[in-house]
This record gives sequence, structure tokens and C-alpha cells, in this order.
Amino acid sequence: MTKLSRRMAIGATLSASLATPRLLRAQSAEVVVHYPMPAFFKDVMEKIAEEFARAHPGLTVRYLAPAPNYEDAVQQVLRQGVAGGLPDVSFQGLNRLRMLNERRLPVDLRPFLSRDGDPAPRGWTPNLLGLGQVRDVQAGMAFASSNPIVYYNANLVRRAGGDPDQLPTDWNALIALAGRVHALGDGNSSMHFRWGGDDWMFSALLYGHGGRMLREDERDVAFNGAEGLASVTLIDRMVKEGKMPAFTVDAALQAFYAGKMGIFSGTTAYIGSMQRSIGQGVDLRTTRMPVINAEKGRLPTGGNAAVMLTRDAARQDAAWKFITFATGPRGQELMTRGTGYVPCNTIAAADDRYLGGFYRENPLFRPAMEQMPIAQAWYAFPGTNGVRITEEFVNNIARIVEGNATPEVALADMATGVRRLLPR
Amino acid sequence: MRPGEERSLLHDLPRLALLGLGACFILLPYVWMFAASLKPGSEIFRDSLTLWPERFYAIENYGKALSEVPMLRFLFNGALVCALILVFQMLFAVPAAYALAKLRWRGREFLFGLIMLGLLIPYHVPALPLYVVFARAGLLDSFAALVLPFTISVFGIFLFRQAFKSLPDELIHAARMDGMSELSIVWRVIMPNAWPAATAFATFSIVAHWNDLFWPLIVVQSHAMATPALGVLFFRAEEAGNDVGALMAAAVMVTAPMIILFLLAQRRFIQGIATAGLKG
Amino acid sequence: MRDSAALAGAAPATRASRGIGEAAAAWVLCAPAGLALFALLLGPSAALLVLSFSDWELGAPELAWIGLGNYVELTTDPVFRIALRNTLIYVGVVMPASIGLGLGVALLVEGGSRLRATFRAIYFLPVVSLLVAMATAWQYLLHPTIGPVNRLLALLGISPINWLGSSDWVMVSLCMIGVWENLGFVVVLFMAGLTAIPRELYAAAELDGARSAMDRFRLVTWPLLGPTTLFVVTITAIRCLRVFDTVQALTRGGPNNASQVLLHAMYQEGFSYFRIGYSAAITVVFLAIVLLLMLVQTRILDRRVHYS
Repeated sequence: MTKLSRRMAIGATLSASLATPRLLRAQSAEVVVHYPMPAFFKDVMEKIAEEFARAHPGLTVRYLAPAPNYEDAVQQVLRQGVAGGLPDVSFQGLNRLRMLNERRLPVDLRPFLSRDGDPAPRGWTPNLLGLGQVRDVQAGMAFASSNPIVYYNANLVRRAGGDPDQLPTDWNALIALAGRVHALGDGNSSMHFRWGGDDWMFSALLYGHGGRMLREDERDVAFNGAEGLASVTLIDRMVKEGKMPAFTVDAALQAFYAGKMGIFSGTTAYIGSMQRSIGQGVDLRTTRMPVINAEKGRLPTGGNAAVMLTRDAARQDAAWKFITFATGPRGQELMTRGTGYVPCNTIAAADDRYLGGFYRENPLFRPAMEQMPIAQAWYAFPGTNGVRITEEFVNNIARIVEGNATPEVALADMATGVRRLLPR
Repeated sequence: MRPGEERSLLHDLPRLALLGLGACFILLPYVWMFAASLKPGSEIFRDSLTLWPERFYAIENYGKALSEVPMLRFLFNGALVCALILVFQMLFAVPAAYALAKLRWRGREFLFGLIMLGLLIPYHVPALPLYVVFARAGLLDSFAALVLPFTISVFGIFLFRQAFKSLPDELIHAARMDGMSELSIVWRVIMPNAWPAATAFATFSIVAHWNDLFWPLIVVQSHAMATPALGVLFFRAEEAGNDVGALMAAAVMVTAPMIILFLLAQRRFIQGIATAGLKG
Repeated sequence: MRDSAALAGAAPATRASRGIGEAAAAWVLCAPAGLALFALLLGPSAALLVLSFSDWELGAPELAWIGLGNYVELTTDPVFRIALRNTLIYVGVVMPASIGLGLGVALLVEGGSRLRATFRAIYFLPVVSLLVAMATAWQYLLHPTIGPVNRLLALLGISPINWLGSSDWVMVSLCMIGVWENLGFVVVLFMAGLTAIPRELYAAAELDGARSAMDRFRLVTWPLLGPTTLFVVTITAIRCLRVFDTVQALTRGGPNNASQVLLHAMYQEGFSYFRIGYSAAITVVFLAIVLLLMLVQTRILDRRVHYS
């Protein structure tokens, strides 16, 4: 029994030491920040923290362990909303802001904005502010944004009879070029349009035609009209005429890296990994998305926004300083140079002190920046099934790509599926 | 084919050939992984399977894996967490397994049934409620959060129960005659005889928790507490941004200790499962 | 006389008190495990399962009790039905394949002494695999145009297969990877079972006229592997029913739910769509199915197993 009680004593001490609760946070001199996708943002965030501390003596930034992706980032905040422990600032995917707002988690930033005066001279146009708005609430400040572009393998383009300096500007030419790349054979794939994962790229086509997802009152679908039909027909043409194979996006990227795919259409955020993983012989080019409707055409915006979560007034002040720094010219310059995402600050983008020279030196990044004026907010569906709805798009487009459904049937099923999931 | 018998190399060839073929199938992903960890990004995805790198990039990849995240710290955390989990698992499971195997009491079958039920429950199920409890108790981001949920190992109780069942009852009777309490019998008499089973269990447990991603992802909030699998996850950025070379380097660094562990313990390990009463 | 009578009278009392003492000791020994079981596993699980009667979403400020509403929705949910079918297919393919191949490998490894330790280590490797990294490897190896597997098939004259991108082939690919994953476990367990068989039995069987390897297997190896086989079948069945990581890492249930499985559907509903109540309902149904299968299997196999 003596052995037992000694063991018990050791066990008790061990258990007690393990349960040491976290030390209380330092007094309001610290901003606790959480961000996603460390592979992209870690270096950038650390630089921002460094310069922020220098610009605001007395304030430091403490980063929590980053979330691997946007989905985990929103899960974390939702969990913390239930169990406590929200950080002061969190960077959330733009299409998640609506859901967070419905849970009443983000702090409305309008009072802070108006207190500091007109945002436009500081680089935040109404368009940019709109990216972080949900209805009238300024749920976040857009930090890193992306929009869809087209990547080309110039060698394959040349071999297929195209001109790498005169790349297609409309879909007919692009699809025709893809068909010619396919005809090269030798294991070369023609193109990939990143239809998987979510509804973002589909919305690129839909908005490009001037269409919209839901009606104004959000009670019924609007994407099954002429614009929607044209969009799915376009995807069907990519498959039938452009010979687009039914690859997963990872397979498509790998084929592109290996120099065995001619055209890839997806987010500009891929540029970084393209540059890192692409084979040495591959001559990479990027262009804007083919223009469908010159006046009404728009594009969706991906990326993330800085959201303020703390309700403590002192911490809010510090958090606001951090947010304005990160989304200000210098922070946006650091962000763009480090990741290739599009800056959400007009001063950063245009002024030579910041990124003016960058776009001259890095032509690959230019298309996305040039598309900023027609980039609109990433639409988030209302109601509890908001996330599940995006699956309806992906699943039905998969049927088109695999040739299991005609565009008309797939579109009709999309509409029925989404209707079923809309709030009643 | 008589097991264990020495045969000439010629006779052994069919066996070696078949095993070799199977081994290729098993090793293929690992070989590619290791090769990728030696290459720069531009060489990894190629049209042809070229395993040896043209430009030796191992130092950059492994260097990145070690510097972008405090990988050594993660490995240390992993070792500590796995060791603590194992200790507590044995502390809880061994006495219970003994009681289920050797003692006769009402409620024994009921408890065993509950344990089998526990074996079926997927690990996602208790996760959210546990998270809320730990968060409210302020225990998040600590070793307690990483270790506590796993201190109950139904697999361990199952395994040890099987092992103890095959031990002769006379051992226990003799010990009782000597006036030992049940608890001492467990630790002084039963365990030493079932040590191989413990090695087997230890290997399974350590491997399972070393590679665990789901729970640490939920409870870890600072780099100081991260576990090895989280370190690897850092380099994976969904679709784009995978720094594949560094990702593979990190994966190699995280997998290697487990392989070494198995190589060192394999004989005991095999023996252990055998003794775990798979004879019934 | 009186002594023996006294002794006789004392004996039942000792036995009874020993019985009580045994029960008391058993409860004390089981207390830590039992408490931990309830506090850390059964309790939280029960809490979640209770939520299956509600419509709670993660982060929502309030919830409503909707009784069997979620379960009713399940019966009309096509995704759930596909997930159920796919999971059963997966179990039906991976279980026999990995157990059969695993047994074969174990017999081969233990059947000789050359390179035994090396092969043991090699076949154990899949058990320590980290899927996060392994996924990229699989994606490349199974790539439709640049992957080595299709290259090999091309040499044999077979046209390239879209392993992970085609609804027709994705389950096949997942089953293959599943066999790869489970093989290590099975091989190791069978190797242990084989080393436990006493050599003398083989010698005795040979004396009795068992000449060929088939005979030895049938008369000695297989019957004595009974308990091991039962253990292997149980563990493999549970592991296969709980397939999740591969689907999450490689296909996310796609394309178009062709590779959706029960646990992934449960995870998706709970952690991607944040419908905790509905996800809990899927979990309850999953547990019921698993329990049923386990009961059936134990009934069938327990009768057949030969305990030495």
C-alpha cells in the first residue's frame, strides 16, 4: 500500500502540473491575432507584426497557431464563440463573414471608420469596403483579395499554333486553343477550369455574363436564367470542344507544373505555388479572364478580411490600430510582395512608394490587379444551409464535366437543389 | 513449407520474390515522398518517375522544415505527449483488464459491453463536448488537453484482457495465499508476465497518438504546444501553396522516429501480440 | 470433530466474504478506467447524441428540439444513402482483401528466416503513415497523365484511368489505398499469431501424414489461428467502417458524392456545414449499424473459433 500511495502522490502532482491554466493575458498592450494558411501568410504576418510594433510603441502582436485553411479558421471562431477564448482579431474568408455576422460575432467597424474620417483618401474605396460588408454592417476590412485569372504554358501554346504574346481574350478563342493543345497528344492535357471545391469559379462565369445568384429578396434562385444557362453551356463546351479532362484540381495543378497542361483557369493566389513548383522548362504566362459582357460583366473576389472580435473597449482600440495598419498602404505592400494576393488598398496598389514598381517588375501579378475594378463581393448564401448550397453547384458541374448530364439538366437540378436548401 | 526452417537460397527465392513484389507496392508512396524531400519544387512533378534529384535540395527542404516551424520542439512535444498518454493508459487499463479477466463479480459483462461500445465510437463524436468543457475550464492549449481525452484506451483494456486471460490462475492463487492485495497482484505478479503484451500495446498507442491530427488541431492554439502532425500540416495549404519539398521533408522527419521505434521493438512487439492471448 | 465442523462451517463464510471482497476489489480496480470511460468518452458522446434531437448549429445562440426531425430528413437524404452504400462496399472489398493478402504475407514472412526483420518493418510502414503527406504522394502516383501507375498500365497496353477524378473509379482507388493502409495492421497481427503456434504441432502433423504445405495449413495453422483471425476480423471491420481520413484528404467525398462515406458525411455536416444536430443524427445511425454488424459477426465467428 505504501507503494500505491507514493504513486498516487506522484500522479496527483503530475496531474496538477499538467492542468496549469494559461497565464492571464498581458494588460491591453497586446493584440491577439489569428490567421489562416500559414504556408502563405506566416512570413507576411510576422513582418507586419514587427513593423506595427515599431510604429506603435507599447503595442505588440501575439499570433495564435494559424489555421490550415478558411474552413478551419471559421470553425475555430465558432467554437470559441461557444466556449470562450476569442482572439482580438481574426482573418476570415470573405464568404464566411455573413455566417459570422449571423452569429453576431464580428464587431461593426463603421463607428471606427467614421471616427477616423473619410476612408477613401486612406486607400479604402467604397468598392473595397464593400468586400467586407454584410448588408450594412462593416464586418471586416478586406486584407488579401484574389480574383480569377488564366494561366498559360507558353511552350504548349506556341506548339499548338498560338501566340504567347497575343493570348486569347474571349472564350471562343480560348476553347479553340485548348482543342489544339489537346490535338498535340503525347500526354498533354488541354485545359482545366477549376470548377471543384466551391461555387467561386462558376460565379466568375455567371457574373461575367452579368447574372446574379439569387433574386434581390433572396427568396428564389436567379442563376437559372439566360446567364446561368450560358455559363453551364460554356463549361460544356470546354469539355466537348476544348477537350477538358475530368481532373481533380490537384491533378490539374500537378499536370500544369509538369508542363503537360496548356491552360489553367483559377485564382490568382496560385501564382506563388506555380512559381515554386513549376517545372524549369515551363514558360508561365497569366492573363485576365476572357471578357464576356464588357459592361455588365463582373468577377467574384476571394481572399480574407480582418475581423474584430473583442468587445473590450481598450482592446478594441489596439485591435483597430492593428487592422488599419494591416489593411493600410504599408501592410498591404508587405502582404502583396509576400503572397501575390491583390492589395485591398488603392494607395498601396498605385503609389510608387509601395507597389507601383512591383507590378512593373512582376507582370504575372498584373492581370489580377487590373481586374480589381470589376471584382465584386463573394456571394454567401443566406440561412443555415449556406455552405451546403455551394456543394450543389460543384456536384452538378461535376456531372457536366464527366458527361453524365447535359447543361440544361444540370442547371435545372442545381436550381431545384438550391431552392430546397434556401431558408423558408 | 515449414515455418522458420532454414532453406537454401534457391528454395527461398519464390518466397523472397513474392515478398519483394509486395514490398514494392507498399514502399512506393514512401519512396516518392523521400525522393521529393530531396528535390527542389520544380523537379517534383514531372512527366516521368525520376527518383534521384538533379539538383540536390535536401538541405534547403529539411532546413525549411526545421526553421519555418520549430519542428524539434514539436517532436519533443510529441514524445512527451505520447509518453504521458501511454503511462496514464496503462495506469487505467491494466487494473481494469485484470478485473475483467480474472475476477468474478456482478457487472463484469456489463462493463465489458460498455468498453466494446467505446471501441466503436468514432473519435469525432466526443470531440466537441470535450472541447467546450476544456475551454470553459481554461485547460485549452496545455498538455492536459492533449493527454486527458486519451487516457481511456478501450483498445488497451481489450488487449490486456485477452493477455491476462491466458495467464494461469495458480499464479494469482499463490499470490493471494501470500496475502497480497489485488492491486499488488496486478502490478507485481500479472504485469511482469504480460510485459510483451505491454510492448505491443505501447507500439500501437504511440504510433496512433504521434500521428494524431484531429484533436491537436482543435485544442492547440500556440506553437509551444503543437504536435508533430501539426508541424507537417503547416506546409499544406490546400490546393495551392503546398511547398511540397518541405512538406515531404517534414513528413520524413515525423515518420522516421516511428520506424526506428518499430525496428528496435519489433521482436518484442510481435511476441507481445502473440502473448496477448490471441491463443484465447 | 468439532474442529472439522468448525472448519466446515467457516469455509462457506470465507468463500462468501471472498466473493464480496473480490467484487469490491474489482470495482476499485475498474474505478479509474470506468470514470475515465464515462467522463471522457461515453459522457461527451451521449451529450452529442442528445443533440441529434435538436437543430443546433455551431455558434448559434439558441436551439430548438425537433424530436425525430433529423432522422426523418435522413431517410430522404440521397447523400446519406450513397454514403451508406459506399461504406458497405468499402468494407466488403477492403476487409476480405486486406485480411486475405495479410494472411498470405504473414505466412510468407514467417515461413522462412531470411530478411524476416526487414520485411516485418516494411510491411508495418503503412501503419505509421501520415496521411497529410501521403495524400500528395497518392495524388501524384495515381495521376491520370503523369503518374507512374498509369505509365505502368500503358506498358501493359491499358489506357489511362482517371483514378481519383472519375466517379466510376474513385471508389476503386480508395479501396486500393484502404488495402494498402490496413495491410500493415493485419500482417503484424497475423505474424504474431503465427509465431505463437508451437513448432511441435507441425512435426506431429507430419508424422500423422500431412505432407504438403496445404495440409499443414489446413490441419494446424488455420485452426490455431482462430482467435487471431477473430481479433483481426473485428479490428479490421471496425477500421474499415470508420474510413474517413483517406476520403477527407484525397477526394472530400467527390466527385459528386461518388466517394462519400458515412463518417465523412457526418464530419461534413457537423464541421463544414455546422449542422451539429443533423451530424449527431448521422452518428447515431452509424453507431447502430456498426453495433448490429459487430453483433452479427461475433455471433457467427464465435461459434467457429477454436480456442486451445
